[in-house]
Amino acid sequence: MAKIDSNASGSKGAFDDADRIRSMKFSLTDMLDRYGPVWVTVVNLTCFFIIWELFARSGAINQIFLPTASGMFGTMFEGLTNSAPPTAAYSGQIIDHLTYTLRNLSIGLVIACVIGIPAGLLMGGNKYIETILGPYVWALASLPRIALVPLFILFMGFTVKMQITIIVLSAVFPIIINAWAGVKTTEKSLIAAAKVFGAKERDIYLHVVFPYTLPFIISGVQQGIGRGLIGVVIAEIFGGSMGLGFLINRAADTFNSELMYAVLMLLVIVSLSLIKLTSTIEKRVAPWRQQLKM
Amino acid sequence: MGVSAGGIAPLQGVDAGQSPAREPVIVSKNLTIGYKLHRERKLLTALKDINLTIYKGEFVCLLGPSGCGKTTFINAISGLVPPWEGSIEVDGRPVTGPGPDRGMVFQDYALMPWRTVESNVRMPFEFQDLKLSKAQIDERVARYLELVELTGFEKSFPYELSGGMKQRVGIARALATEPKILLADEPFAAIDAMTREAMQSELERFVTKTRQTVVFITHSIDEAITLGDRIVVISRRPGRIKEVIDVNLPRPRFDQELKSLPEYAEIREHIWRLVKDEALSGAHGDD
Ligand SMILES: Nc1ncnc2c1ncn2[C@@H]1O[C@H](COP(=O)(O)OP(=O)(O)OP(=O)(O)O)[C@@H](O)[C@H]1O
Ligand SMILES: [Mg+2]
Repeated sequence: MAKIDSNASGSKGAFDDADRIRSMKFSLTDMLDRYGPVWVTVVNLTCFFIIWELFARSGAINQIFLPTASGMFGTMFEGLTNSAPPTAAYSGQIIDHLTYTLRNLSIGLVIACVIGIPAGLLMGGNKYIETILGPYVWALASLPRIALVPLFILFMGFTVKMQITIIVLSAVFPIIINAWAGVKTTEKSLIAAAKVFGAKERDIYLHVVFPYTLPFIISGVQQGIGRGLIGVVIAEIFGGSMGLGFLINRAADTFNSELMYAVLMLLVIVSLSLIKLTSTIEKRVAPWRQQLKM
Repeated sequence: MGVSAGGIAPLQGVDAGQSPAREPVIVSKNLTIGYKLHRERKLLTALKDINLTIYKGEFVCLLGPSGCGKTTFINAISGLVPPWEGSIEVDGRPVTGPGPDRGMVFQDYALMPWRTVESNVRMPFEFQDLKLSKAQIDERVARYLELVELTGFEKSFPYELSGGMKQRVGIARALATEPKILLADEPFAAIDAMTREAMQSELERFVTKTRQTVVFITHSIDEAITLGDRIVVISRRPGRIKEVIDVNLPRPRFDQELKSLPEYAEIREHIWRLVKDEALSGAHGDD
């Protein structure tokens, strides 16, 4: 073996320069690969907002329906920095409504995880639990959750409890189903290897099934965030006196299109940040999954 | 699981010629194993009536067409699949499950993707108490990674390795606990010819020293002859033992021009004929 290695390194000197040039070129494309998308996105978004601004100013569409981009950002900035609200038609600043929504969303998501992850794991791990809970999970998962909102309003009124219930119900099913699928699809050969090397039932769950399922759980949570956000906004639009959904409703009632667009933009930002956060977490806890995605 | 007589039953069939002085380690009697095929609602017999006794320190190679039940056989020895009929005993006791006396190299590597190379090799020490100190375990892990030439890759994850490197991690993992019985399922299949030869010689040297009993699956006739004390040729599914061939070539085999020996050519020719017959009969068989 050693002989072959020394031969290879002996002839390597001749290619040193070529190698260096190749690696320089490679590092340039590498830089582009790494930073390119960021710049493309920045330019892309800038163009988008400029065109929006020009289009809105041209008056082709009434500004009641389409505000200028600058107006929207102005409203958003003011609302977020606690200065006086542009109109007095609603109480509090955007920031108050944002924190209200985010707080409810977080509480709802935490509850959904606390219920959903163990439920999914148990369903995947135990045939009886699976058989008993399976039909309910599928039935509720396939029922459009919006259809339940009036029912919960009936039960609980326009309360925070009602909103959180809706968030939990929206987010919990993707979490359950993903955790369940993760357990069910755990590679048999990994379980066999663990057994051969002495793993007991408990070790298999802890050291094979759980790590295998973790990325599934994370993508379940990711889907749960999306669904939960839909749930919270719907709950707030239906009824309530706080939150981004309420603010959208109020903006529509008062023809405040700048506020409306500002809130929509905020929802996009919130949603994207949460998804980015979970995929960052996934990269940290499950680096081996990256290679499957690329 | 039915048959479990106390002590070692008289040897039969293919083992009749073996010297009775040697200590049997793995005894398979009329072993028949199959699988349930859920989709087709029928049973599939993978192995049929396997009678084989493997002795302490012996290196047995299993050779046979794909799907003939080789993996099934070593899974039975390791305790991963139970016998349907007949019995499989290790050290005089019927196999009821895996144990630290048996290590296994998996055909599909079966490395935990979330563990580094080092942590994969360390795994068997975490699951079972082998009465070793932390330092001893560290030393073992390092030594066996060195043996398979993976020093420097301790912190890599399996997805960062080539197929052959993954297979070597699997080999290090199986060897590191120094089991009495090593079950190896095509351990060198994904390794290039040059490295393979080095690893074959390493393995021969190693097991000669440790006196481990090895059951080794391969598709290569040459590999079987260079490594095996005996070669078990298995027929197409349902797998039966077609013939057991003694390889009485001197050891260590890698120190000599093995392939130029007339005995080598003779055995090779014989096995090649067996394997060819098997392939031809299967092509027209109804299976
Ligand atoms: N888990 C399983 N479920 C159903 N059938 C199986 C299972 N494992 C193996 N078989 C069947 O049993 C037979 C023997 O399989 P086995 O894996 O033992 O073959 P093999 O000799 O190791 O083949 P190869 O050389 O291709 O690895 C095959 O026909 C296969 O279809
Ligand atoms: Mg096999």
